[in-house]
Amino acid sequence: MENRKKLSIGELIVELSLPILLIALMVFFSLMTDKFFTTQNLTNILVQNVHVAICSAAVMIIMISGGTDLSIGYQMSVSAVLVAKMIGVYKVPVAIAVICGIVLCSVLGTFNGFMALKLKSSPMIVTLGTMAIFQGISYLISESKTYHNLPRSFMYIGQGRIFGWLPINVLIMIVILLIVGFVMHKTVIGRKVYATGDNPEAARLAGLNVAKIKVLSFTVAGILVGISAVLLAARSGSADSATGVGIEFTGITACVLSGVALKGGEGTLWKVIVAVFVLGVLANGMQLINLGTYPQYIAKGIIMLSSLWLTNKNSKAM
Amino acid sequence: MGIAVVYQELIQFEAMSVADNIFMGLKQDNGKIMVNDKERCEKTKELLKKFDCDIPPTTLVRDLSIANRQIVELAKAMVKKAKVVIMDEPTAAITVSEQEKLYKLVHKLKEEGVTIIYISHRLEELYEICDRVSVLRDGQYITTKDLRDTNKHDLIKLMVGRELSSAYPAKKPPKDEVVLEVNNLSGNGVENINFKLHKGEILGFAGLVGAGRTELMHLIYGAARKACGTIKLKEKYLNLHTPVDGLGAGIGLIPEDRKFQGCFIDKPIYWNVSISNISNVSSHGILDKKEEMRMAEEYKERLKIKTPSLHQQTSGLSGGNQQKVVIAKTLAANPDILIFDEPTRGIDIGARYEIYLLMNELAEQGKAILMVSSDMEELLGMSDRIIVLHEGKQAGVVNKDEFCQEKVLAYASGLEERQ
Repeated sequence: MENRKKLSIGELIVELSLPILLIALMVFFSLMTDKFFTTQNLTNILVQNVHVAICSAAVMIIMISGGTDLSIGYQMSVSAVLVAKMIGVYKVPVAIAVICGIVLCSVLGTFNGFMALKLKSSPMIVTLGTMAIFQGISYLISESKTYHNLPRSFMYIGQGRIFGWLPINVLIMIVILLIVGFVMHKTVIGRKVYATGDNPEAARLAGLNVAKIKVLSFTVAGILVGISAVLLAARSGSADSATGVGIEFTGITACVLSGVALKGGEGTLWKVIVAVFVLGVLANGMQLINLGTYPQYIAKGIIMLSSLWLTNKNSKAM
Repeated sequence: MGIAVVYQELIQFEAMSVADNIFMGLKQDNGKIMVNDKERCEKTKELLKKFDCDIPPTTLVRDLSIANRQIVELAKAMVKKAKVVIMDEPTAAITVSEQEKLYKLVHKLKEEGVTIIYISHRLEELYEICDRVSVLRDGQYITTKDLRDTNKHDLIKLMVGRELSSAYPAKKPPKDEVVLEVNNLSGNGVENINFKLHKGEILGFAGLVGAGRTELMHLIYGAARKACGTIKLKEKYLNLHTPVDGLGAGIGLIPEDRKFQGCFIDKPIYWNVSISNISNVSSHGILDKKEEMRMAEEYKERLKIKTPSLHQQTSGLSGGNQQKVVIAKTLAANPDILIFDEPTRGIDIGARYEIYLLMNELAEQGKAILMVSSDMEELLGMSDRIIVLHEGKQAGVVNKDEFCQEKVLAYASGLEERQ
């Protein structure tokens, strides 16, 4: 781009800190164990993080618009058990069930946005409330049961491969992320979402329909969450009310790690996705070198804090 | 260290009392666990009395007017036994009567042996309260002089580094065609406002802080809902619900607070310029980056925005250039009626003049301008007519041939009533 300020080396390192970290982690685990750098394992990492990446994109959209959504995990849960029950118990055609699951999530997302708007309250508090509602709905649908034995045609979405090697869910993820990236960074509506999150009052006075943009962000995020719910259920071949729960925190972690501003208006999709895979590689690698879940938590926390230190140091330098 | 600063934008503990603010961080409290509220309040009362101010010490600072907040800051400086008090544009946000009070305070401090560094854009007030003046320009020290040895004209020359013919450029008179007619407009804290705005006119709005000028502008722009009355734009009655409607009808607002309402301070310049008319630099909802940069470049040239790059964050610009970005953003939406709310608050004299020139140019192109200002000279210098508000009501209209400060002030303070 013409006129763009050239980055100094220090700024460039900060700008690329996440990819550097990702590569460093991969090199480290490759040296530690020969089980890490195999086609099989790398594909696993990709496949296992499909729903995380799409959900993190959803979290990113909401955070950029100036909101937070703590209910994403239970949105996924509701959608997953609904789809699984429709297919498994009521023998509804897969396509119809999948569409229902996605539409349901977009409705739940819209509900979140609408409530935050009407209650004039922080989306974080509002979604803390709706989270409880969604949890209840999910358990009412599932009756605390786990749905197994879903048909092959459904599992194919999560486990099938094109050309014998390209996992379908990874392909779906790539397409969706490309669309999200394009919309957020290259279109008018994306720009308006950034403006709304950056300074809602200035956006309102600049003639933007702030209320509509905020609710729309939640709606779109809901659609993405619905898609992740379907992909996750299809990959694991089962669904219960614990499906997806807690994903919002992974999403928020990835977003914050990548520099999405908590106050809104800032964030870049590719960085969020790299952050998702930093977390994914970390979890996978530590598992392979026989470090369990608890050391993983500690490592996650350390990475998070050091990224905050790095960005903070950089912003002071400017 | 004995130095106290009263900033232009006051940094205070808004949810704490006047007394707490004044005594915050004072050495005498160190090592103590309990706060003696009674003693604090007594001392605060005494202090404020010195300043002829009777606000109760327990009032929360957020409930005070800006003028009273400044008094709190000055009282704090006194408690700290400051030897030097730096005041940064203290009169930028307060009304004329409050200014008089402030000048008295400054004199009082002076008598008590306090040295005052007084930063200001308003030359007339320098002559009122200062002894010596230092001029800085573009980050460089120019000179220091005794005020007795200089006049305004010389000072302006030193400040801008060249001759300015007049503080306010000459403007052609407005046309007869009425573009905006407001009848019995009420709501958002204003009542029963009536006026006509003509093509090519700059209509000034005077009044004290809290008189409802900004609130009225928000009604006309659609940023607030009217309770009753009509707004007629070129034979068409407007029913505005949000700024989307106002902007769509051809009304543009340059808000009073450029940092929080006017622009996206952390975003680049080009981003700010295009946001109000973003659909114009896109096709089928997809941004045309080239077109967007071209538009930003056009407004950069037209408004003389001084920046090395349009990718520069707006926060990195001087106040004057930030204000130009805000104006560019509104102009880019191509409105017929422009509302300038405090267009030159806190910006340097060179940029001020450029904004005045621009306003005149816009008026001559056939746009109509509503200008809210707390700067009396600016109102008298720029307006074709002045409407004065007092406590939400229209206190009077002053025509150009009867412009004088006393008249406007009399209406503004409610001393004289006229419809």
